[in-house]
Amino acid sequence: MKHWLKRNLAFARLGIQTNLEYRFNFFIDAIVQPAMTAGIEIFLWFALFAATNTETLNGYSKESYLAYVIWAAFVGRIAISWMYEHMMMDEIETGSINAIILRPMTFFEYYLSQLLGYKLVIFLFSSLVPLSIVLYFGLPTALNRLPLVALLIFYYLIFIHAMSFMTACLAFFLNRVRSFTLVKNFTIYIVSGELFPLDLLPTFWKKLFLNMPFAAGVYLPVGYLTNRISTELFLTGFINISIGLVVVLFLSYIIWRKGLRSYSGTGA
Amino acid sequence: MSPAIEVKDLNRVYYSYKKSVGLWSSVKGLWNRQHVEKVALSDISLSIPSGEVIGLVGANGAGKTTLIKILSGLIAASSGEVNVLGYNPFHRRNEFLRKISVLLGQKNQLWWDIAPVDSYQLLMSIYDLDVNKSQKKIKELADILNCTHVLETQLRRLSLGERMKMELIGALLHDPQILFLDEPTIGLDIVAQTSIRNFLSAYVKDKKPTIILTSHYMDDISKLADRLLIISKGRLFYDGSIDKFTQKSVQKKRLKLIFENPTKNAIRISDDVLIMPGTKNLDLEVEPTKMAEIITQIAQFQSVQNISTEEIDFEETIREFLKTQQ
Amino acid sequence: MALVLKKYLRLFSILVKTSFIADLEFRVNFSLRIFTDILWYFMQILSFEILFNYTPLIGDWDRYQMRVFLGVLFIVDSLYMVFIQENADRFADKVRKGELDFILAKPVSSQFMVSFQKIATASFTNLLIAIAFFLYTVAQLEGFQWYRLFWFFLVIPTSLIVIYTSRFFFSCLNLIFVKSESVQFLWYNCYKLGLRPDSIYFPTVKLILLTVLPMSFVASVPTRMILEPPNTYLICWSLVIGPLSLYLSNIFWRYCLRFYTSASS
Repeated sequence: MKHWLKRNLAFARLGIQTNLEYRFNFFIDAIVQPAMTAGIEIFLWFALFAATNTETLNGYSKESYLAYVIWAAFVGRIAISWMYEHMMMDEIETGSINAIILRPMTFFEYYLSQLLGYKLVIFLFSSLVPLSIVLYFGLPTALNRLPLVALLIFYYLIFIHAMSFMTACLAFFLNRVRSFTLVKNFTIYIVSGELFPLDLLPTFWKKLFLNMPFAAGVYLPVGYLTNRISTELFLTGFINISIGLVVVLFLSYIIWRKGLRSYSGTGA
Repeated sequence: MSPAIEVKDLNRVYYSYKKSVGLWSSVKGLWNRQHVEKVALSDISLSIPSGEVIGLVGANGAGKTTLIKILSGLIAASSGEVNVLGYNPFHRRNEFLRKISVLLGQKNQLWWDIAPVDSYQLLMSIYDLDVNKSQKKIKELADILNCTHVLETQLRRLSLGERMKMELIGALLHDPQILFLDEPTIGLDIVAQTSIRNFLSAYVKDKKPTIILTSHYMDDISKLADRLLIISKGRLFYDGSIDKFTQKSVQKKRLKLIFENPTKNAIRISDDVLIMPGTKNLDLEVEPTKMAEIITQIAQFQSVQNISTEEIDFEETIREFLKTQQ
Repeated sequence: MALVLKKYLRLFSILVKTSFIADLEFRVNFSLRIFTDILWYFMQILSFEILFNYTPLIGDWDRYQMRVFLGVLFIVDSLYMVFIQENADRFADKVRKGELDFILAKPVSSQFMVSFQKIATASFTNLLIAIAFFLYTVAQLEGFQWYRLFWFFLVIPTSLIVIYTSRFFFSCLNLIFVKSESVQFLWYNCYKLGLRPDSIYFPTVKLILLTVLPMSFVASVPTRMILEPPNTYLICWSLVIGPLSLYLSNIFWRYCLRFYTSASS
């Protein structure tokens, strides 16, 4: 146990170290990109409220939407995995995974710990931006909820990594599986509530999405942070992730086992 | 003492699909694909005692990489028994993995973006090693390999030779009982090659690990290996000492001569060597013992501008050897 | 001149054919690409349709006009997917692995080879879908005058040129900075400015999007050609900005090549 923790802390450090090595990339990833996304969305909501000429939209004020949009852009950026998923696929496709599976550790933990380490730094840096914006403009945000929200996001990241792992394992059977990442992450983009708050959806869809683990990526944490949803609803996120995690881990274990068996250890 | 590696009736088959050229067959390939079977290894049986250094040799595609992959646990055997240090390697138990090490000459295993020392830190946590002992060991190995100065430079900034030395230290850090070395000297210049060869030779004497070594360089094998395995078309072709092998296949060297002027008349050197008139460049395969004799003979008739000798490519020797056995 | 053009056209047709063969090889990827784009279309439609449940107008367009905008966007985007995206995606790799060396050593325009080596044939399907959707949205418009399609076709090349040159500009940065994958995300964020109707932006931003960072040309300007009477200034300006961007992109390419050191060892 102690040994397991030690090596995973080392992996987390590796994740942080390698990403900070390229400061420029990190800066764009953590700050510029979510800031630009938020910027464009803000225009949209301004235009929307200007056209409707009303105080509230579906029961929430303009400020509430702005706060949601700003937080969603940053949280959405944190609660997703592109880079490490692609790295895992690369390892499998090129056969460099060999070097990893011949060491006394698992492929899963190796990348999970790197992802979490990397996301932790991103979180620490990038949350400063929405934080200062909402504080400066006085947009509704319940800051005392931030620790609990962070906890949910990082729990969700374990689930997201399990999804990534499962997707990457497809590379054992198929060539060029990066499109799967695209399809998966696009879908997550909608059902997590990053595109727009899930409560704007028709009741049926809203109910459906709220019962999936993905809502815990953006809608639940950001909704809770911006006073949009109740504590009860927020807490269902932990349950949904747990269920999702069990299912995905089970499936990916099967795929991984099957994959390794059919694997020929590509190349020389 | 039980052998370190025990293999019985090992077979391995690969499946792939056939691709024919052209646009239409590509379109057809969308729904209709022909699968083909390829036998990579068949009926291999082996027993390797602990502490022996094995030179594994064969043409490209003969199956040596497949054998290494099976022995290290990367891929499963299609049938047969494989036992390495008492484990089935394909289960890849952590206890087993702690006892082996794999070094691939063509691939990086250390982390590209960080310095070797940082990579070693990671390896220490992965293999659960004592930090002080390991650091001492790194220093020792780096001293011998003469590369202490690059330990703190990011891997991507190092030369190929320096990188290989770093990889070697990383592979030895946890004192593996079995070491798989797949082309450890490939692509390196002569200086780096010799330095790595000497290092390995000293290491073997000191620590007595079991080593499976593949290399295209005859010198690597002849200097390091106790025993030679030749694989051809998936079958174990030769298993025995190197001396016996060299006795069987006469080792020749390539002798290259450039004359100052083309030869005017035919010159007979020996029973099987006749230099035709008008020759300017001469290219001969000669037994090393007869080298001097032949050069003196030629020099009597013709003034020579340049002499050079080359090792005949190991693959070539093997191929010739295999041909004689058919 | 005609000879040069012929050479490049022939080169291009060979590239199309080889791309097709290469794409078919990976059949799962082939169908997934089509699917990904459809999903992306769906996302765009969904977000606007949902918002229109709560408001009659976004910017100065209603639900039906917005659908036309999306139809235009899908056509332009699928063209981008077919001809530009994959090449741009591979650009960073080409630089890192030293493949650019081979391209530079060939007697054709290096910008052409870098930009159009691969065609994403799968996305042709999406182009058909996009055109169908576009025709549907246009047919839904009340009193639509079909002659406006002429102006639409006139500005579409500019639209593609703008996407191409902007993406190419960011790709070129790979020659200056090592490991600048993130720069490509920056491009996508600029592109996103063009994925929304330009009427939602404040006047200054709108002006920027018509000039320095001409993302309005991606879909907003072509849509205006259909929804509104022809605007002479806009049409003329679009005919200027297209060739101008191409010219500037070539200058920038050559400038960046000076930073290129082929990948060693």
